[in-house]
Amino acid sequence: MSTASTETSETVVHPRRDNTREPLLEVTDLVKHYPVKEYTGLFPTTNQVRAVDGVSFDVAPGETLGLVGESGCGKTTTGRLVTRLIDPTSGSIKFDGKEIGQAKERQLRSMRRDMQLIFQDPYQSLNPRQTVNTIIGTPLEVHNLVPKNKRKDRVQELLELVGLNPEHVNRYPNEFSGGQRQRIGIARALAVEPRLIVADEPVSALDVSIQAQVMNLLEKLRKELNLAFVFVAHDLGVVRHFCDRVAVMYLGKIVEIGDRSDIYEAPQHPYTQALLSAAPDLNVVRGAERKERIRLEGDVPSPINPPSGCRFRTRCWKAQDVCAQEEPLLEIKSGARQGHQIACHFPEIKDDLATSLENTSA
Amino acid sequence: MSLGAGTEATMVADADERAPGPAPREGKSPTQIALERLRKDKVAIACLFVIGFFVLVAILAPVLVSIAGVDDQLHLDQVNPLTGLASFQSNADHPFGVKARTGEDLFYQWAYGARPSLVVGIAASALTMVVGVTMGLLAGFLGGVVDTVVSWIVDFLLSLPFLLMAIGIVPIALQRFGNPDSSGFIEEGRESTIRFIVLICVLVLFTWPTVARLIRGEVLSLREREFVQAARSLGMPTKRVVMRELLPNLTGPMIVNLTILIPAFIATEAGLSFLGVGLKDPTYSWGQTISQGVTFFDSYPIWMWIPTISVSLLVLALSLFGDAVSDAFNPQTRR
Ligand SMILES: Nc1ncnc2c1ncn2[C@@H]1O[C@H](COP(=O)(O)OP(=O)(O)O)[C@@H](O)[C@H]1O
Ligand code: SF4
Ligand SMILES: [Mg+2]
Repeated sequence: MSTASTETSETVVHPRRDNTREPLLEVTDLVKHYPVKEYTGLFPTTNQVRAVDGVSFDVAPGETLGLVGESGCGKTTTGRLVTRLIDPTSGSIKFDGKEIGQAKERQLRSMRRDMQLIFQDPYQSLNPRQTVNTIIGTPLEVHNLVPKNKRKDRVQELLELVGLNPEHVNRYPNEFSGGQRQRIGIARALAVEPRLIVADEPVSALDVSIQAQVMNLLEKLRKELNLAFVFVAHDLGVVRHFCDRVAVMYLGKIVEIGDRSDIYEAPQHPYTQALLSAAPDLNVVRGAERKERIRLEGDVPSPINPPSGCRFRTRCWKAQDVCAQEEPLLEIKSGARQGHQIACHFPEIKDDLATSLENTSA
Repeated sequence: MSLGAGTEATMVADADERAPGPAPREGKSPTQIALERLRKDKVAIACLFVIGFFVLVAILAPVLVSIAGVDDQLHLDQVNPLTGLASFQSNADHPFGVKARTGEDLFYQWAYGARPSLVVGIAASALTMVVGVTMGLLAGFLGGVVDTVVSWIVDFLLSLPFLLMAIGIVPIALQRFGNPDSSGFIEEGRESTIRFIVLICVLVLFTWPTVARLIRGEVLSLREREFVQAARSLGMPTKRVVMRELLPNLTGPMIVNLTILIPAFIATEAGLSFLGVGLKDPTYSWGQTISQGVTFFDSYPIWMWIPTISVSLLVLALSLFGDAVSDAFNPQTRR
């Protein structure tokens, strides 16, 4: 345990927040509701899909925030709101001190250089009709970063940076494997020299062995280029060695947020504990006795009609009456360190889950 | 999914991924791959020869008729005054025979008849594509009011019965633009020009909605694709996103559509001319020849057979070629 935690702290760039911390990205009460028409009954009724329902977090320069939750929790929507690919219903997004939540496309132009996306599906994220040279050269062209005659050199430099053969500039995406394509996507994001990258499950579509390589690449780039990351993942395993801070999302809300060690070693929210417990346990595969595991029953409820009070109550084993009546606020609970907030009426530290994970990944 | 697990596995996979690909030839776009597949398709090549033959006939019609020594004059001496028919089906002077009563040469009409088929097929489908793709792109990418209006027009036009409308529109257009004299007579050349234009307009009017609907669907799925999001996250102007990211990805469906439309239009032109609402003298067309020859099918079969076989062969070749093209462009069957 102790060796494991020293190893852990090595990769943490910003282990603890203090008051001098200047956020690069600051999101406050961010909301995105999608209106959807339903055609049951006589008249169509308009419902609101509460994809993101009041989310707040911040990211300092060079810091990495993991955004974790099951599918359908609103992680992708949050990422696209932050990069302003979609307009928020309400709430504030501050980037580098500037409010961009309601800004028009023209006002966003300078921000577009500072914030980039890496996408989930490497087969969808590259235009199949363009060569690598065009794909990576387009950001250089759009933002007028490199003179035309130097563009190809810069593209080749970027290819080398992400570990691809620079001689492959004239190839089309169909000539690359999934992992290689993801590297091209990373090179495209890096072309504008951004300060923040929103990575939306960048490895979950890849083979496990390739996942590790791409994660190592991101780790290397983040250190070399001092990049800040919002790293979206659907389980806590992937972000473990990458993130300084972790926010756990459930049904459009953050249920627990804290430094990496808070989340992995002293998780207090039942949902976080369930996610941690669901991480694959290699020791069991190797023949060790199975630890007590928390199994989540059922699926994430519909975001059109989320449960009253605590949204997790329909699947929570600790739910009481109060959970259905009062919505728990995201706040610091007893036993939690500064910057570790939990939205639960009955928080309780469960650290053996983290220990078991520690052993598996050693 | 623990990342620390197995550094040796990482090394192996890394080496594997960086290894030079098995194919040393590089830089093949999806279109080039499709064309390469098409080149290997024997049926497609055979069809291309058939299509090429008719295109040559249409282009070289004046040369062919002078080689055959035929003209567009009446040859009353060639027909039996009692039956009105020629005594031969085919001879050296008139290889495809002559018309009943007037004795006009049918080879001449066949060679020149290839022209309207191809011109109508190509012009109408090109126009259809331009209108359909533009409307589909606008509706799909802009959405909102534009989408609602375009979709409404599309649904409206598709709900009209094509054949009835075509049969109705031709006489109306002739009345409106033909300057008929008091007895209703319209100058021959003027009538055939009007008929030609109206025919193309009718074909385009009733077919662009199908194309627009298809392109709109493609655009709706394309614009959610992550590479379009990536372009938008760069702050790329909308016009450029459409032209550079969307349009090139529509070449597949566009080419496939074009190869389906051309034979359909040629067949429709022949059908409408057969029904008398298509082309008329002095513009020769196969459909019109068929409709005239059908009366004499028993006693003078060559009159109907030659244009019938020609139009069938051309439509068949174009359709099979279209199938081959859509196979070649279909990513599911690629490689
Ligand atoms: N354009 C949209 N219209 C309606 N509902 C949407 C739209 N995009 C996402 N949603 C809904 O919002 C919820 C959150 O989606 P998403 O952000 O993709 O979740 P995640 O990335 O965590 O899986 C889902 O229930 C999804 O169905
Ligand atoms: S508030 Fe209640 S239902 Fe919600 S997580 Fe805590 S104990 Fe479970
Ligand atoms: Mg997602």
